[in-house]
Formats: sequence, structure tokens, C-alpha cells
Amino acid sequence: MDLSVLERVKWLQQQQMVSPEFFEILGSDGREELRRVESYLGNNNDELQSFRHYETIDGCISRTSSFQMEQVKNNEENRVIALQNKRKTEGKTEKRENKKKKIKTEDETESSMKGKSNMSNSETSSEIEKRDYIHVRARRGEATDRHSLAERARREKLSKKMKCLQDIVPGCNKVTGKAGMLDEIINYVQSLQQQVEFLSMKLSVLNPELEFHINELSTKQFQACFTDLPEAVSKQSMMVDASSFPLHQTTSLDYSVKNSNQTISLGSKEQTSWEIHSQCLYNNLRTDSVSNFFSFK
Amino acid sequence: MERQTINKNKRVFSAEPTKLSPSEVFTRKYTSHLVPALKKLNMDKNSPQINQLTVKHEVDMALALSAQEFAWSRFLLEKLSSSNNPTTTISSSSNGTRIPERSCKEDEDGEIEEKLRELQKLLPGGEEMNVEEMLIEIGNYIKCLELQTSALKSIVQDTT
Repeated sequence: MDLSVLERVKWLQQQQMVSPEFFEILGSDGREELRRVESYLGNNNDELQSFRHYETIDGCISRTSSFQMEQVKNNEENRVIALQNKRKTEGKTEKRENKKKKIKTEDETESSMKGKSNMSNSETSSEIEKRDYIHVRARRGEATDRHSLAERARREKLSKKMKCLQDIVPGCNKVTGKAGMLDEIINYVQSLQQQVEFLSMKLSVLNPELEFHINELSTKQFQACFTDLPEAVSKQSMMVDASSFPLHQTTSLDYSVKNSNQTISLGSKEQTSWEIHSQCLYNNLRTDSVSNFFSFK
Repeated sequence: MERQTINKNKRVFSAEPTKLSPSEVFTRKYTSHLVPALKKLNMDKNSPQINQLTVKHEVDMALALSAQEFAWSRFLLEKLSSSNNPTTTISSSSNGTRIPERSCKEDEDGEIEEKLRELQKLLPGGEEMNVEEMLIEIGNYIKCLELQTSALKSIVQDTT
């Protein structure tokens, strides 16, 4: 490509690859960046042209780097990540193109084992494509009829959401595969609901005393508690002051302990970390001071 | 003393009016719903034993009211307001229902679907959503449950 930098950027803009801000961001380092960016484009220029005609794509082309150029459009952070991603996938796509035959399942397992960067790749690219219509790249050796493409699009959406859930639910990182993760999520939700029930039961017992103490509580105190939230929740240690409980309360506590033990033991084969914590939660009756709670900062 | 100084620091920190994370917003709303409701319960019922189910009802109601931007909270509200006799809404139904894992690979998809269905049962209103929506809502629901539990913990803690 013998075009000058300006012309190249204009061409990129025409291709709707790059937003005008990109050019501004480039600045002094721009030319080098652009050269890097261009090098990816330049390799696959022909494919890029054909890429514009959506109808002609049979799906026999594996993921090319030009495909990923669309991500550059967004903001600067995305641009940096996109550049890094491109470098990674560039190597992978080259490998794939070298190999002649690929088994379908192999492709799928490869894709499932790819890192987060590739997930975000397919994410943003499929998001951008959705603007027009659902457009899915079929990989080498995979079926190209509409149903399987649609099915794959659906599956990718699902797996994207599962990934988000993985970030929310603690302990999901160790488990792989949809079924295991779903198990974890189910267990977690159940245990959270049980916690809520347990706490409301305790509250119902303590309620007569509530009135005296409520007036002392200020909203700022609550804020102080809740800014510690992430640590508190992750540690999952319950502050239970056993000595202040009246006698009949202990029996109901025992009941809840048995109950929770049953449900927890039924569910899990392996003891994941947060399950252990939640068992400690019900079993540990430690005397507590408020300063402990605050010390989690 | 330590607590007071910590509180002072926190107070200075929280004096900035603009920065309110969604979790803080939620917890504030939650406590502002729950605490007066509990007080009211206290004052209304002069009988010695406050019904556990009513408290649970209030707890759930406070949850639903403080998270009104989510679909599941609407379902929860409907469920709570429609049932005059508040039954233990959420957790009792799901106790002990564990699907045994099948090792056969052909059933894998079916297994995943069953698990998704179970997850739908856990979420209020989950059965009426499609799977994609449900997964998003589950994420929000889990977050709010976490915040709710920590709010309840701190309430309980402060009264002991």
C-alpha cells in the first residue's frame, strides 16, 4: 500500500473502520500505530473487499484480522486492547490457515478454551454486526447453513452471559463447562436465599429490642458498614453473638444449622471455597465486636 | 473510639454528594424501606411474638422496592402483594431439589437445560423470561441478594 498516512486513514474512515477521533488520538505516535494497524489490514486487503459484501461470504474464511478491525472504532482503551488482541489472534489465524483440514469439534473446543481477549473479540464484533443483521462467521470445517449459524450465535450469546455470571459468583473460576458453572450458580443463589431467611428469622426474634436501637442508628453508620461490602461479602463470615441469644433461640439456630447442612451436603461433591465459608457461617458462633467488622477494610 | 474515628473518616468520605455507587444506592433504599417497616410492625403488634413470616414478607418487600429497575423485582412485588397470607416465598421450594448428574454425554444439553430451568425457578418471575434475559436478571438478583444479606447482617448486629 503506497498511500500516505492521511489517505490511509481516510480510506479507513470510508470503510467505517475508524472513527474520526482515532485520527486525533494518533497524534505524534500516530504514524507508527497506523503502520501497525495497516499491516494487519494490508495482509488481508482482498478479503476486506469481499467482506463488505455480506452475501458472498460462504463462511469458509476463518477469522481474519480485518474482521477485528471494527473494534478499533470505539474508544482509546478498546483500541489498545484491540491491538493486543489482534496480535494474539493474528498468530492463531495464521496457524489455522496453514492447516488444511479441521475437525468440527476441535474447532469448537479451541474456541471454548480461548482466553478472555478472544471472547471480547467476538463480543464486540458480533455487537457491531447486530446493527445490520445477525452475521456470524463460520469457522473452517463447520456447517454454514442458517440454522447452525443462528444456533451458534445463540450459543455465543449464552456463553458471554455465563462469563459475566462467572465474575459475579465467587468460586466459579475453578469450574469449567456450562453445567458445572450452572451448578455453582444455583448453589450460590440458594445459599444466599437461605442466608436471607435465616437473618430475617433472627430479626423477627430480635425485633422487640429493635426499637430501642434503631433510633441510635444513623444512615452514616450504615454507609460505613456498606462501604466494606465487597470484603464482607467475600469473606462470608457471620457475626453472631451467641451469648445475647435467649435460650429458645438456640434451638431454632440448631434447626437452621441442620437444614443448611443438609442442603449443602446434598448439592456439592466437592467443597468449594465459598461453600466452606457458608458452612462456617452457620456453624461458627463467635462472640463478636463491631471493630472486627470494620477491620475488614 | 476507634469506631468513632473510622466513622469520622467515613463521614468525610461520604460527604461527597456526587459519587454514589449503585450498591450504596441500593443499600440505602433497602434500609430506608426495611427499618420503618420493622418499626411499624413493632408498634402495631402488641402481641409478644412477631410472626416470622411477616418479617420475611417485609424483608422481601423491601428488596423488591429497592430494586425496581429490574424485571424480577416486579414479579416479586406482584407475588408479595397478591398473597395476603405471606408464605415463605422463595427458599422453601428449592430446598433439597438437586438433580443427579448424568455422565452420559448425549444428555449433556438436556442436563444444562434442566439446570437452567431450575435456575429459572429460583428467580422470581424467571419462568416467564427466556433464557438470555434470565441469565442477565440472575446476575442482578445475586448482587441484590448479597447487598440485602449484608444489610440484614448489619441491622441484626447493631441491635445485639
